[in-house]
Amino acid sequence: MVLSEKKELTVFTYKKLKGIKMPPKELVEKVRKATIIQNKIKAAIINSPKTVPEIAKETGLDTHVILWYVATLLRYGLVEKVEKTDEGYWKYIWKGR
Amino acid sequence: MSEETYDALVIGGGIAGIESALTLADMGFKVLLVEKEPSIGGKMALLSKVFPTLDCASCISTPKMASAYHHPNITLKVYTEVLEIYKQGEGNFEVLIREKPKYVDPQACTACTLCEKACPVIVPDEFQFGLRGRKAIYIPFDIAVPKKAVLDIKNCIFCGQCERVCPTGAINFLDEPKEYKVKVHSIILATGYKLFDPLKKPEFKFGQFKNVITSMQMERLLSPTSPYEGILKPKDGGEPMKIAYFLCAGSRDLKLNYPLCSQVCCMYSIKQAQLLLGALPLADVYIFYIDIRAFGKGYEEFYQQAKAMGVNFIKGQPSLLDEKSDGTVVVTYWDSNDNQFKVDEFDLVVLSVGLWPNGDIAKVFKNAKLELDEYGWIKRIDENGNPVKTSIEGVFVAGTASGPKDIPETIIEANAAASQAAKYIIKYKR
Ligand SMILES: Cc1cc2nc3c(=O)[nH]c(=O)nc-3n(C[C@H](O)[C@H](O)[C@H](O)COP(=O)(O)OP(=O)(O)OC[C@H]3O[C@@H](n4cnc5c(N)ncnc54)[C@H](O)[C@@H]3O)c2cc1C
Ligand code: SF4
Ligand code: SF4
Repeated sequence: MVLSEKKELTVFTYKKLKGIKMPPKELVEKVRKATIIQNKIKAAIINSPKTVPEIAKETGLDTHVILWYVATLLRYGLVEKVEKTDEGYWKYIWKGR
Repeated sequence: MSEETYDALVIGGGIAGIESALTLADMGFKVLLVEKEPSIGGKMALLSKVFPTLDCASCISTPKMASAYHHPNITLKVYTEVLEIYKQGEGNFEVLIREKPKYVDPQACTACTLCEKACPVIVPDEFQFGLRGRKAIYIPFDIAVPKKAVLDIKNCIFCGQCERVCPTGAINFLDEPKEYKVKVHSIILATGYKLFDPLKKPEFKFGQFKNVITSMQMERLLSPTSPYEGILKPKDGGEPMKIAYFLCAGSRDLKLNYPLCSQVCCMYSIKQAQLLLGALPLADVYIFYIDIRAFGKGYEEFYQQAKAMGVNFIKGQPSLLDEKSDGTVVVTYWDSNDNQFKVDEFDLVVLSVGLWPNGDIAKVFKNAKLELDEYGWIKRIDENGNPVKTSIEGVFVAGTASGPKDIPETIIEANAAASQAAKYIIKYKR
């Protein structure tokens, strides 16, 4: 079926059929937190590339949390590696919208 | 409910199952290949290179995965489970199969990744062993076969973004599980192994100390599709300069009631050490071992080569791990050569996790008993005379489903199982 032939998004039909009014609270909360973290990373590296410890310092988040999100954002093309410091840390810059 | 007949059912789409299916299909037999994950390839598809030749793992596995997908004699069902098997006389098995809903029409999906990019939910990526995240709708990994999106409904918030952006209208929330009954003349079990879960040994501090990782995570870091696009410390993203391997993590361990050797950990650790020295020429690599088992063709030479490259082998076992604030792991270990405790610091510790049994498949046999050995591996009923024979006539075992082994041995066994299955099919096919 091509998109134009579809009347209603199947996700809405699914929700009606399953009686889903709201997605699980914990999941929504996870998404909210993840969005905040991504926005903080974006703000930190949108203008100048930074290493994971530098992003952590600016955002107040743990370095391992930053790396996990940076790796995820790399996968989706929202972040790019720029250069490596003498200490062996890559600098990352925001590439997305 | 449709009921089709196949010459053979191969359960498990790792390298063993793929090889068995291809061999039977090339002989002209009709094969149903069932894989529970959304892609075939098993563990091998996620490895970097293979010992002792250091050939690229995906260069070997990808063409086989593609052949299995396109072979006219193979019907491939991914994201599919076998629920029940009934033996109804020799050469005659009835099998109940359940295809899980993917909520994506595979015929329409072009793997454009637009849905992934639009999805707001991020969860740990199981195919990268948690090193990074994936979306609630996702393509399993770069070399997945089939390369199609699948929607993880448990983590979906039903925002509809994926459905809005999909250019081909592939997303379908009304997808349902499908159950089929099929008839098959023979069965090959290629369900592989489970990785040892290091949380079973809290003293390894896995999960607690961020710079303690598993060897499978290191495979991902070493691969060309590394989740970090390089080899970095999970704690802070810096390059590790001093790396330790702990061999036999979850193998030969009486405290775990598991005395078996995993057969590949010595060799894959030596492989990874060599690859690390290639990728990080200034790094120091230490391997802590009980003893090195380099038994295969070219394996001892491979071990000697690692020594010559400067890998440090320490006969001894780590006993205590501590962490400094920068993530450095402080290791207290017993040095068996010097007969004393020593302390050293490492940027990264790699647990060479063992291969553990995956005997879950036994429970689907409803009227015949699939025997497991005392540790839970599928029992080879004629260990020396016919190592692919199981306790059920017409059911054969291939690869690591019957015990730890490397890829060459897995492939040999997969072909042996295919030839035994072929003999059986010809004898009993009516
Ligand atoms: C870190 C590491 C590095 C390694 N490096 C090397 C190396 O360099 N060289 C080498 O020779 N060996 C290496 N090995 C060993 C290698 O991984 C195995 O020999 C090989 O992958 C075994 O393949 P398999 O098909 O038997 O099992 P698996 O790869 O485990 O495949 C089993 C498949 O069956 C599927 N499955 C399981 N249960 C079911 C079910 N009930 N229904 C449907 N599907 C099911 C699984 O999802 C999986 O796809 C390494 C192992 C590890 C852990
Ligand atoms: S957007 Fe549609 S076609 Fe593209 S990967 Fe997702 S499901 Fe497939
Ligand atoms: S509907 Fe679900 S899978 Fe699709 S984008 Fe939203 S959260 Fe992701």
